[in-house]
Amino acid sequence: MAGPGIADIEAGVIEAVTKISRRPVAPAPEHDLVADLGFDSLEVLELVAELEDRFAITVPEDQIPAARTVAQVTAHVAQLVAGRTPRA
Amino acid sequence: MTSLRTLHQAFDQAAATASGYWFTTHESERWRSYAALRDSSLQLARSLRDAGFHRGDLVALLLPDAEQFLVALLGTSYSGATPASLAPPATTVGLPRYVERTVAILRSSEARAVVTTRRIAAELVTALAAARSAFAHQPMVLIVDDLDATAIEPDLAPSLDDVALVQFTSGSTASPKGVTLTHANLSANIEAFGGPQGIAISGGDIGVSWLPLSHDMGLVGMAFGALYAARPCALLPPQEFVKRPAAWLRAITRYRATVSFAPNFAYELCVRRIGDTAELDLSSWRVAGCGAEPIHADTLAAFAEKFSPAGFRETAFVPCYGLAEHVLAATVSPRERCPRIERVSAGALSEGTARRAGDGEPSVALVGCGRSLPGHRLRIVGEAARVLDERMVGEIQLAGPSVMRGYHHEPALTAETIRDGWLRTGDLGFLSDDELFVCGRAKDVVIVHGRKFQSEDLEWAVEHVRGVRPGRAVAFGASGEGSERLVVVVERDGTVAPAVLAEAIRREVADVFGLAVDDIVVADSGTIDRTTSGKVQRGVTRSRYETGSLGHPFSA
Repeated sequence: MAGPGIADIEAGVIEAVTKISRRPVAPAPEHDLVADLGFDSLEVLELVAELEDRFAITVPEDQIPAARTVAQVTAHVAQLVAGRTPRA
Repeated sequence: MTSLRTLHQAFDQAAATASGYWFTTHESERWRSYAALRDSSLQLARSLRDAGFHRGDLVALLLPDAEQFLVALLGTSYSGATPASLAPPATTVGLPRYVERTVAILRSSEARAVVTTRRIAAELVTALAAARSAFAHQPMVLIVDDLDATAIEPDLAPSLDDVALVQFTSGSTASPKGVTLTHANLSANIEAFGGPQGIAISGGDIGVSWLPLSHDMGLVGMAFGALYAARPCALLPPQEFVKRPAAWLRAITRYRATVSFAPNFAYELCVRRIGDTAELDLSSWRVAGCGAEPIHADTLAAFAEKFSPAGFRETAFVPCYGLAEHVLAATVSPRERCPRIERVSAGALSEGTARRAGDGEPSVALVGCGRSLPGHRLRIVGEAARVLDERMVGEIQLAGPSVMRGYHHEPALTAETIRDGWLRTGDLGFLSDDELFVCGRAKDVVIVHGRKFQSEDLEWAVEHVRGVRPGRAVAFGASGEGSERLVVVVERDGTVAPAVLAEAIRREVADVFGLAVDDIVVADSGTIDRTTSGKVQRGVTRSRYETGSLGHPFSA
């Protein structure tokens, strides 16, 4: 299958999260964006924009609240990158 | 002064022109003339009548889409019922928690109906059923897409003293504050603000706004400002701006817009997040309004510097001061003037005097917000209700035709807030050459990104977290760059480890308000000062936090 592997995607997501996070914590997959990394609603949307640009994807608006941890965001991006419809 | 008009009269007049709104997203643009919107509104009005709603019934609007919201607001008004705006769910907040909070507001406001989307309605119906016993009369849930009966002919002529709108601005639960505005209130403020001593709206003006319509600056300042002047305005979804701030400035470029307002944080976001300015042309922008939260001189300077190559003029900045309880604006800066900055002594300011700072003295840069609107009055009041002289810091109080009717169903709170016709804003400021400088505010409100949150609402949510001693939570705003920092101080009951408790509090505040807590202090019993009647002393706690004298509690 073409395209980036899950490890590349995770690295890209962590880079994007690091860029936006204002808290001096190195983001890890299990971190919750809001509770652990201090993201507010503005920064969550900033992250979405950053991920859309970085991975050339479109994140459907109603799916934005679903992902809360870095790992969930990574899984979500991976699904969108693969062009598959997200599984429930 | 222009004679006052009801919302209906203003809308009828606008509908007789060719003007209207663009509803613009990153992928689409939809032009709707005021005449077409009026037709849709009259259809919705008929549907409400058919559903049995009567004059004076409160109809709550829970609609994230700008066009649906405006049609529902105006249609509700045409039907004779009273529209009440509630903040729609933020995209990042779980809908079930949002709905839970909304049910509490619906109950205490005694709304008769809710107009909303199919998706929100599904959650709302379930939540209402679960809370059935708490209601004397449950509101009917109506789906906006279904309200398309044959249009009525407008058959009501409300008087200027009738209620035009209730705005639940702070979206609060513990004590929802519904700002009740009459047709006279709206008209007086809009005409004075848009008039020659305000921003002087004329036949060539075009607006652009991404501000939420549940907020006074978005609804009254931009959408109604355009409607009352029968001028066009482009409305963008708020999340499009937050996602890509350049969308705002691109829209100003595209529409050759002349008027656009935003809180301080938005200008800051543009400085921080927009890279390339080459494709922007901001030379048409003559009124860059700024208000709704503390204005930082540094932000305005950085914005002007960054965007002057794109044609932005620093003289376009129009800093304002206002609040929903006063419809929108109370003061407005003169047009075509660079922001007036005063450097005042930080030491003197803390003692209540705004003395210009000497060389090398610690100082605070404050931005002038202009003089009060024509036909309105402003005074600065100190201890023992004494009216203060220029350069003395006190509470800003306002009187005149823009002062709200009151808080919906809250006579005691209304009587406390409006005394002898003077609205007590709770904000602190001083006058210099009759121009208002805002320098602080009562300690029971936190403003983050232009949104106001009541401390008691935040505390109410925090107190529900397991491990917090009942009644021992304090939430307040501390100054930070760009926007305020939200600080929470709690006493723990000893059942939950401090780090776990702090995380649970963060999550609760994030879920309920979509807000990030910047600092949490988990303290032992007896740390938070209380009054003899047992209420937490927010001001004292805040001072102790800022001076670092809360002891050595766990901080996360």
